[in-house]
Order: sequence, then C-alpha cells, then structure tokens
Amino acid sequence: MKGTSLELDGVSVQYGNTTALEAVSLSISAGERVGLVGPSGSGKTTLLRLLNGSVLPDQGDVHVSGSPLYTLSRTDLRRVRASIGFVYQDHRLVPNLQVSQNVIAGQLGRVSLLKSLRMMLFPSRVMVEKAHEILCRVGIGEKLFERTDHLSGGQQQRVAIARALFQEPQVLLADEPVSSVDPARAKDAVELLTRISREENLTLVMSLHNLDLAREYCERLIGLRRGRIVFDEPTSSIQESHFSELYRIGEGEMLADGA
Amino acid sequence: MRRQEDKGRSQEVQLLLAERPRNRFVRGSLYLLLALIMVSWTFGDLQVDELFSTHRLRNLNRFLSEVRPFPLHGKEWDWGVALSWAQEIFKREGLEATLSTLGISVVAILLAGFFGSLMALPAARNLACSEPFLPEIRPPPLRARVFYALLAPVTRFALILLRAIPEYIWAFILLAVMGPSAWPAIVALAIHNTGILGRLQAETVENVNPNPLSALRGLGGKRSQLAAVGLLPLLLPRGLLYLFYRWETCVREATVLGMLGFSSLGFWITDARARLQYDRFLFFVLLGAAVVLIGDFISAFLRRIVRKA
Ligand SMILES: Nc1ncnc2c1ncn2[C@@H]1O[C@H](COP(=O)(O)OP(=O)(O)OP(=O)(O)O)[C@@H](O)[C@H]1O
Ligand SMILES: [Mg+2]
Repeated sequence: MKGTSLELDGVSVQYGNTTALEAVSLSISAGERVGLVGPSGSGKTTLLRLLNGSVLPDQGDVHVSGSPLYTLSRTDLRRVRASIGFVYQDHRLVPNLQVSQNVIAGQLGRVSLLKSLRMMLFPSRVMVEKAHEILCRVGIGEKLFERTDHLSGGQQQRVAIARALFQEPQVLLADEPVSSVDPARAKDAVELLTRISREENLTLVMSLHNLDLAREYCERLIGLRRGRIVFDEPTSSIQESHFSELYRIGEGEMLADGA
Repeated sequence: MRRQEDKGRSQEVQLLLAERPRNRFVRGSLYLLLALIMVSWTFGDLQVDELFSTHRLRNLNRFLSEVRPFPLHGKEWDWGVALSWAQEIFKREGLEATLSTLGISVVAILLAGFFGSLMALPAARNLACSEPFLPEIRPPPLRARVFYALLAPVTRFALILLRAIPEYIWAFILLAVMGPSAWPAIVALAIHNTGILGRLQAETVENVNPNPLSALRGLGGKRSQLAAVGLLPLLLPRGLLYLFYRWETCVREATVLGMLGFSSLGFWITDARARLQYDRFLFFVLLGAAVVLIGDFISAFLRRIVRKA
C-alpha cells in the first residue's frame, strides 16, 4: 500500500472552551509534500495529531488511505499507526535509553513483544548499522550509543526524526521538526525529509515556523489561523501578502498571545 | 491615564486568576494533614515519668550483671577472654545464622520485586485501560469496558490484602503449611513486600511522564511493548530505590522471623533467652543489629549508585 492519502472532513476540536480547530476540511493525496504554517496556537499540532488518531475531534471525520479512522478495529488501527511516522514538537523520546534504542523503537508497531525485547537488548548488526546510517543522514551519527537525555535539544529533535524514518512509514507527520536546530542543519534536515518523500512516495505533512523553508521545500502550503484554514494553495501561487495576513496581530490580541 | 490602565490590568489579572485551574485535592489533603497533626497533639496521651521508676532501675542492674560473658562472671574484665568467647559463639552459630538471615532477605526481596512489578502493571490505572496513553478512538465493547473497569481496583485490592497481613502472621500460617524451614520466612516476607512494592510501583507507573509512552503507542506499540520498552527504563531507577529500601526492612524482619524456629539470628536470640543465657542473648542481639546496619550500608551504597546512573 505504497502511498497513503489523508483527509479531514469538517473537523472541529475543542479543549474546554478553547476552540483549537473549527470545521476544517482538507485532503492530501499520496506522496504530496504539504507545509502547515500559522501563528502559535493556531492549531497546527492539533491538526497533525488528528491524522494519527492521537487527538479526537468533537465533530467531523478523519480518513487515512480512504478508510475512516474511527471505525477501524484495534489491530487495523495499530497497523495504520505503524505506517504513520510522527516527529513530535517536544521529541517524546525515552530519555534514559540509548539513541540507538530510541531509533530502533520506531519499528515497534511491526514486531512482537519478544522480537521488540530482542531488538532493544541485543539488536542485530544490520539494525544497528541502519540506525547509524539514518543518524548520519540527520548529522549525529557519532551519538549512536549515547544516552538520549545527554543530547542537546536540537540533537534530540534529530533523534526523533531518525526514529520516524527508521519506522519506514507511508506517511510522515512532522511537527516543527527543526524548531530547535540551527539554520544550516535545519535546512539539511528538511531537505532530507522532502528527498525521502520524493524517492519513496511518502506523504509528508510538516508544520514549519520558518517560512523560507516551507516555501522552498513544500509543494503546497496550508495557512492556519485561530483554528481555521486561511489559505490552502500550491506554493507557486503564494504571495507575501498571504503571510502578512496570516500572522497579523489581531484586535484584542496581546503581543505574546497563544504561546 | 496611567492609573486607569493599571486598574484595567488588575481587573484582567483578577479574572484570569478566578478562571485558573485549581487543584482542590492538593489543598484539601494539606488541610487534612494539618488537622490530623492538631488532633493527635491534643488527644495524644504520653506520660514520660512512668519510664523511670526505681523498680525498673533495680531490674536493669540485675540484667547488666547477667549479660557479662559467662567465662567472666565474677572476674575482672578481660578483653582477650571476652573476644575469644564471642568468636567461639560466632563460629558455632553466629556465622551461619547471619548468612541465613541475609540469604532469606535477599531471596525474599527478589521474589517481591519480581511479582510486585508484575502486579503493578494491572494496578496502574493509566496502563490498565483499553487505550493507554492516547484517547479512546471508539468505545470498546462492553466486555472490555467491564474488564478494564475492574482490573485496576481488583489488583489493588489484592495488593492491599497481601500487605495488610503482617509478615509474622504470614510466616505463622506458612509454617503450618510448609513445615519448619527457611521457606515460610522467605515466602512470608516475599508476600508482604509484593503488596508494598506492587503498590509503590503502581504509583510510579501512574505518575510517569506519559509523553514518551504516547509516542510509542502512536507508532503502533502494544501495551506489553510500552511496558517493556518505555516503562521499564523510565521506572527502573525509582524501582531499584524502592527495592533496596524494602530490602533493609527485610533484613530486619528476617532477623525477627527466626523466632518462629529456623536458624536465623532471631532463632538464637529466643533460644538464648529461653535458656536464661543473657550473655549469649545480648551477643546475638548485637550481631543482629550489626547485620541490619550492614544491610543499611549496602542498601544506601547501592541506592547512591542507582541515583547517579
Ligand atoms: N491539551 C490541551 N489542553 C488545552 N488546550 C490545548 C491543548 N492543546 C492545545 N490547546 C489549545 O489549542 C489551541 C491550538 O493549539 P496547537 O498546539 O494545535 O497550536 P500550534 O499551532 O501547534 O501552536 P505552536 O506553533 O505554538 O506549536 C491553542 O489555543 C492551545 O492553547
Ligand atoms: Mg504546535
């Protein structure tokens, strides 16, 4: 099932009395590279998390590869989740495991308990070498056997990317995957993600605060503001005015709103 | 002008303050604790002078003369004689009793650590639910709902039963079933500490940072895999601390449990007392204290290592 499409259908998400998303509909076809932009608190994380079923909507439906997510059986859900990689804004690695173990954990959804224990404690050489190769591609190969919580924030973020790549997913959801990485390495990492997406027909949805990167590497941009889609267009037709409208500080908003 | 702005701000802050999420539970338990302290202070009934009557002092004197090592009764104190007397007892009974006391406590705590950790998993409410660490994607079938609604409470109740019955009682029951050997003591200590460790571990599981685990669940991990790959490394340091801490108590209890009749220090303590040999009695009591102290030191040392790792 190479190539997976994603669809949101009139989705609204409420947290208490904050509306994180309101009546959002969009569809992303297999292998597309989509950038998600918008001010802090506009609902980017929420939108991405809807797509792997780690946030549930109050209204609306989510389809992954054509089938509605919320009717899947337990085993099907597990299979779908195993095919969706997620790079979390806050990394969500297991802090006191080695980097290699965290990366190898990306395969958890495909193996039995026994196999996963073996992978953690006595990984095969092939596996370790593959983890090392991916870590090299994100620029931290030398950290392979380091304890994960001894790494800097930017390094941990790249471990999170490596875990998602090791998973060999059909869909990669990346939530500000380079927010704590320096500009040069950020560019490399985003380029890597888009290259893999292109080579393997991987559907890639990533939220980015860096608009230049978003423009350069995504073929389609979706602008979110206060939980609503402001624009959803091919990158070629995006103007500077789109962004200024998107990030405009509105009335009643203080400067530090939404952080 | 400036004034007005400040006033507007303070109103807004008041509003935000009134709307803030509050933890009533923490506050409530603090008040309750305070109340309990006050109550026990006012109604507690401790009388100190009873401790020092003349009658007691006389008893104490007699006891002190009887605890002189037997070869030195009625003679000048001589360290050489006293030491060789102590060595003699240590070689004849003390060493074996010390080793068996330590052995009992080690086997017991290992068993308790294993079974306690196993029982902690179904006792932890964040793990014993149909979709751990992520929201429920659709309502589970009735059977699963009932199962998970009962799993944690039932396991917790079982743990309470295990630890509510004191080691001594467990050992007494087991002695009747298993006959006299070290095993009733081992199993008794293991059962009681399974109850304690299981409860403590369940608590740490419930307080674990859910984010790394939700990530593992989100990439398709099964519950058992979350436990093995996520929880185990996250909780191992804390778990070991608890284990060593309970081991200290186990050493102490293993000493006492010997009184039920197997060859630990407690056995020789009761034996000496029954024969009215107060010198040997004191020797074994001091040896027991030394063993407990050594246990404490080892435990403290190991805990320091764990904390650093
Ligand atoms: N767990 C939660 N509980 C309550 N409110 C939440 C929660 N998660 C998000 N929100 C609210 O939902 C809105 C959207 O949040 P979201 O995290 O999706 O924004 P974002 O676009 O990812 O922001 P950022 O760029 O800062 O990461 C925000 O107003 C936020 O306060
Ligand atoms: Mg976010």
